[in-house]
Amino acid sequence: MTGILLLVRIGWRNLWRNPRGTLLTALALGLGLTLLLISLGLLDGSHEQMVGNGVRFGTGHVVIQAQGYQDSGSAELLLPARVASTTGEFLHTEALGHVVRGVSPRLLASGLLSSADNASGVSMMGVIPKEERAVSLIPQRIVEGNYLKDDQTSGVVIGVELARKLAVKIGAKVVLMIQAVQPPDTEVTGAGGGDMQSTLLRVTGIFRTGIQAIDAHVIQLPLPEAQALLGVPGQVTQIAVLLEREGDSLMVAQGLRKQLAGVPVEILPWRESMPTLAQLFLLDDAFNYIMNGVVLAMVGLGILNTILMRVLERRYEFGLCSALGLRPVQLGVMIIGESLALTTISLALGLVLGLSAQHYFATDGLDLRWFFHSSLPTALVFDPIIYSRLSMTRIASSVGIVFLTATIISFYPAFKAARTELPGALKVF
Amino acid sequence: MTQWAVELKEVKKAYRTGPIEVPALRGISLRVAPGEFLAIAGPSGSGKTTLLNIIGGLDRADTGEVLVERKNLQLLSSGELARLRLQRLGFVFQAYNLLPVLTALENAEFTLLLQGVPVKQRKERVQKLFAEIGLAGLEHRRPGELSGGQQQRVAVARAMVTEPALILADEPTANLDSVTATALLEVMEQLNRAHNTTFVYSTHDPQVMERARRLIRLHDGQIASDVAHAGHVL
Repeated sequence: MTGILLLVRIGWRNLWRNPRGTLLTALALGLGLTLLLISLGLLDGSHEQMVGNGVRFGTGHVVIQAQGYQDSGSAELLLPARVASTTGEFLHTEALGHVVRGVSPRLLASGLLSSADNASGVSMMGVIPKEERAVSLIPQRIVEGNYLKDDQTSGVVIGVELARKLAVKIGAKVVLMIQAVQPPDTEVTGAGGGDMQSTLLRVTGIFRTGIQAIDAHVIQLPLPEAQALLGVPGQVTQIAVLLEREGDSLMVAQGLRKQLAGVPVEILPWRESMPTLAQLFLLDDAFNYIMNGVVLAMVGLGILNTILMRVLERRYEFGLCSALGLRPVQLGVMIIGESLALTTISLALGLVLGLSAQHYFATDGLDLRWFFHSSLPTALVFDPIIYSRLSMTRIASSVGIVFLTATIISFYPAFKAARTELPGALKVF
Repeated sequence: MTQWAVELKEVKKAYRTGPIEVPALRGISLRVAPGEFLAIAGPSGSGKTTLLNIIGGLDRADTGEVLVERKNLQLLSSGELARLRLQRLGFVFQAYNLLPVLTALENAEFTLLLQGVPVKQRKERVQKLFAEIGLAGLEHRRPGELSGGQQQRVAVARAMVTEPALILADEPTANLDSVTATALLEVMEQLNRAHNTTFVYSTHDPQVMERARRLIRLHDGQIASDVAHAGHVL
C-alpha cells in the first residue's frame, strides 16, 4: 500500500516537474472536454428546440384523437365527449402540474378559403385561443394584425403565403366553405350533416412560421365558430398536450392510456404522431454521435500523445527504478497514476471552461442570425438562436467517458514503461 | 567452505549489432569474499560495466555461471532478479542516480519503501546514515539543489540503507572533481569497514584505483591482472 502511495506521489510530482508544460497539456486536454460539453450542449439544445418547435407547430408532445384518425385523417372521427373531461382531470393533477405546459382541444377539417381575388384549399383548426397560445407557436409568429382574442367569437388567422395567394390584408373578408361532419353511424337528415357550409370571416392576423406547408394552408378560428360550421357543437378532433420536457412524452402517454382504457381513442407521443419529424431527429442523433465520437477521439489521441511523450523521455528514470527493484507492474501503475492525475486536472479545467461556456450559451444563446445576414431562409424550422442545454446526466457521462478513455489509453504508455529493458535503459551516453 | 559474496565461472557475454558480434566478456572467472572493497579497472570498452551489470542481475551472461550469495542468477526469472536487487543488492551509477522529483530523504528511503519497511524505521535508518556520511540537514533538498558529490552520497546512502550484501558502483566518481571523488571514496570505505558490506566498483581513475584493497584490471573482456594492494597477487 505504501508502495502504491510512493508511486502515486512520484507520478504526481512528475507532473509538476514542468508546471507550465503540465498546465498547457492539461489545458489542451481540458479543451477537449470543453469542446465536448459545448458541442453536446448546443446539439442537445438545438435538438430540444427543434423538437419543441416541431411539436408546437404540430400535435404537441402527446396527442389524443379518435381511434383511426392517425391513418385516415377523417374529419368525421371525433373524440367521445367524456374524453376531454377525463383528460383534463388527469393532466391537472398535482403530480403532473410541473410536467404539463398546455392542453389545447382542436377541431380539424379541410375546406376552401376564398377571397375576392382567389381561393385556396386550407386545413382549418378550430381552437380555444387561450389554450392554443400555451401549446402552439402560431400565436407567437403573428407578423401582421393580432392573434385571436380569448373572447373572440369570429375571425381567422392565416399564414403569409395564403394571404399572398388570396391577396388579402388585415381586416379583409374571406369565405370559408367546408363540408359539415356526418359522424359515422348517423343517417343523413337533410340539414347539417354532410352538407357544404360556409361562413364569412374577417382576417384578424397573419402569421409566418417559415414552414411552407403551414404558412400556405393552415388557418385558425375560434372553436365555437368551427364547431357550428361543422355542425358538431362541443366536439373536437384532437387534444394536443404540450409538456415541459420532451423526455416525459412516453410517461404521459402511458398515463393517459391507462386513464382512457376502453375508450376508442389513440394516444400518441409525438414520435408516433409525427413519424417523419421523428426520423429526421434520429438522423440528427446519429450525426451527433459521430461528431461526439470525433471530438472524443481527438481528446483520446491528445492524451495518448502526451503521456507517451512523457514516458519516452524518461526511459533512463524507469531503468533506474527497475534496477533498484521496482517491478514492471509497479512501473505501469506509476504511469497510469500519473496519467490519471493529469486527466483529473484536465477534467477539472475542462469542466470549469465547459460549464462557463455552457452557462453563456444557455443564457445568451448562440446567435446564428449573423450567418444569414438580414434575411432568414423561409424554410427555417428551428430558431436562429440556439440555447445550450446540458443535463447532469450528460455532464456526468461526458466526464465519465473522457476519464474512461484516458484510463484505457494510458495502458499503452504504462505497458511501454513496464517493458523498460535493462541494462539498455541505463545507457546515458 | 567459503561462502563467496560473488562467484563467476567462465562468464562470457557478447553484444550483437545485426550480423556483427562484439564480445564484451571472454570467460571471466572470479570470486569476491564478503566485505571486500574491490575496484574493477580498465579502459573504455574493456567490459567493466557489462561485468557489473551481470553481477547485479541487470543483464544476463551468454554462458558461464554467476553466483551471488550462492544464488545462480542465470536460473532466476526477471521477477526473482528484481526481488534480489531490491533485497540484497545496492547500486550506485555514474550519474543521474536520483529521482529528480523526490527529496534526498525520499530518494534514500525509496528501496526501503518498496520493501515495505514501516515509516518510523525508514526515517530512523536514513537519518542515521545521513549523519554518518555527512548529509545531515540536506534531507529535504531535491537532487537539483545538491552538488554532484552530495547526490552521489545520497545514492550511496540509498544503496546502503537496505543493508545489502553487495553494493555495485559503476564509475561513481566519473563526474566528480578529485576532491569530491576522494571524499566519496572515503565514505564508501567507511561504510565498508563499519558494516562489512562488500563493495565492487568500476573506475578508470588511477587515484580511485589506489583506494581499493583489491584491484582487477580488465582488458578486452578478460582479466589482465588481479592484485591485492597489500602487494601480493591473488
